[in-house]
Amino acid sequence: MTNHLSEEELILHYYGETPRAAAPRLAEHLASCGECEAANTRLHRVLTLVDSAPPVDARPGFERDVWARLEPQLDEGLVRRLVRRSAVREGGSATREGGWRTFFWAPQWALAGGVAALVVVAFMAGRISNGTDVVLPAPQRAAASPERVLHAAVGDHLDRTQMMLVELVNADTDQLDQLAGEQARASDLVAANRLMRQSAEQSGDGAIADILEDLERVLLEIANAPADVTSNELSDLKSRITTEDLLFRVRVIASEMRQRNRTDREAGDRPAQRLPVS
Amino acid sequence: MEERDPSVVARARDGDRDAFRALVDLHSRYIYSLAHRMTGNAQDAEDVVQEAWLKAHKQLARFEARADFRTWLHRITVNCSIDLIRSRRHREDAHDPADLEQGPLSERGADTQPTPERVAASVQISDRVQQALGLLTALERAAFTLRHVEGMSIEEVGEQLGMKTSATKHSIFRAVRKMRTALEPFVES
Repeated sequence: MTNHLSEEELILHYYGETPRAAAPRLAEHLASCGECEAANTRLHRVLTLVDSAPPVDARPGFERDVWARLEPQLDEGLVRRLVRRSAVREGGSATREGGWRTFFWAPQWALAGGVAALVVVAFMAGRISNGTDVVLPAPQRAAASPERVLHAAVGDHLDRTQMMLVELVNADTDQLDQLAGEQARASDLVAANRLMRQSAEQSGDGAIADILEDLERVLLEIANAPADVTSNELSDLKSRITTEDLLFRVRVIASEMRQRNRTDREAGDRPAQRLPVS
Repeated sequence: MEERDPSVVARARDGDRDAFRALVDLHSRYIYSLAHRMTGNAQDAEDVVQEAWLKAHKQLARFEARADFRTWLHRITVNCSIDLIRSRRHREDAHDPADLEQGPLSERGADTQPTPERVAASVQISDRVQQALGLLTALERAAFTLRHVEGMSIEEVGEQLGMKTSATKHSIFRAVRKMRTALEPFVES
């Protein structure tokens, strides 16, 4: 037999993609030609070998690395969805109820945008400053009001700030290098603090705005302290934090935020009060 | 592998971050292997895994509870791999429209070509197969994987990769020929 099957024909045969019209001729040839049958067997063996190779495995700890890269991106997506939903919801109302309503809608939208920005900043500050996981609103809470997001973000921010202040107050005044470490954390917290204060002012939450204003002052002082700070200057800073009852006030507001978060969650979990999910 | 705990998927759909993380922990290794088979290198596979999880997170609300989560995720990963390969292909088109197979990606396979030392040292089947797969261009590898592993028809492979059926066929032919040349001596021994 002279007209042997081509390699292409054998490959198509292996994958069951021989054109219907050519299939009988091919089968007949394979049955009668030892050379082509041998080539066909070799092809099967090679492709079976490919199948038998175990898959390439990822390095140890791969899952942890995936999550570390993924989680911040999920939060960014969450914030974008939150802002979009706020815009759609409020924008829809404005269209239905008349143009005058857009006047009242604007500050709420500004608050939603501000909250979105502060959540991102707070998240980044938390990542950089202490490396711990930040408790951000879960996706199912994405349809929550901007105020609710503000409460969650402020509570989280106050917890982190409180931790930093406690460490600073308890630091030995001779350990000046401790201040250098806290300065980096303070710098990260300042930006988040400022955004939250502005958002709290816009939403008319005076108590939160006041404590954040006081915190901002102290955080700035820590962040901008000179590199050659003396023991006395560190002592002064610690006593100001203590005498102004700053830590106590932070604890009170943080506790209140946790309580509000719980209330918000419970309210959000009641089906009748659920916000529409777009 | 079956989903070990369907309630994890349900909780993840409801926005439970811990549940979503559990899914990431459970399936990332599997989709990495899949992405590596499609793309042929670790960096691209990691990028595909990342993109696949982002898409899965975004589309989770549309996932049907009755379906198998891993099968759904598998599909997303294959699509992400194809997207990456197609985007590379466009860049290769611009680089050298005359011959897609001779673009920069083919150079990447060169460093995985088996040197005599490597061949002598390696007795593992998986090493041999990986070396052989390393000889394929990105398109050959994608076309071969979609046909051979994913079981798509040649026509479907062409549709997925944005290629004509005849070009797809030839990519698969070239891939199989390279695999045969590299692996046949091993099979015969």
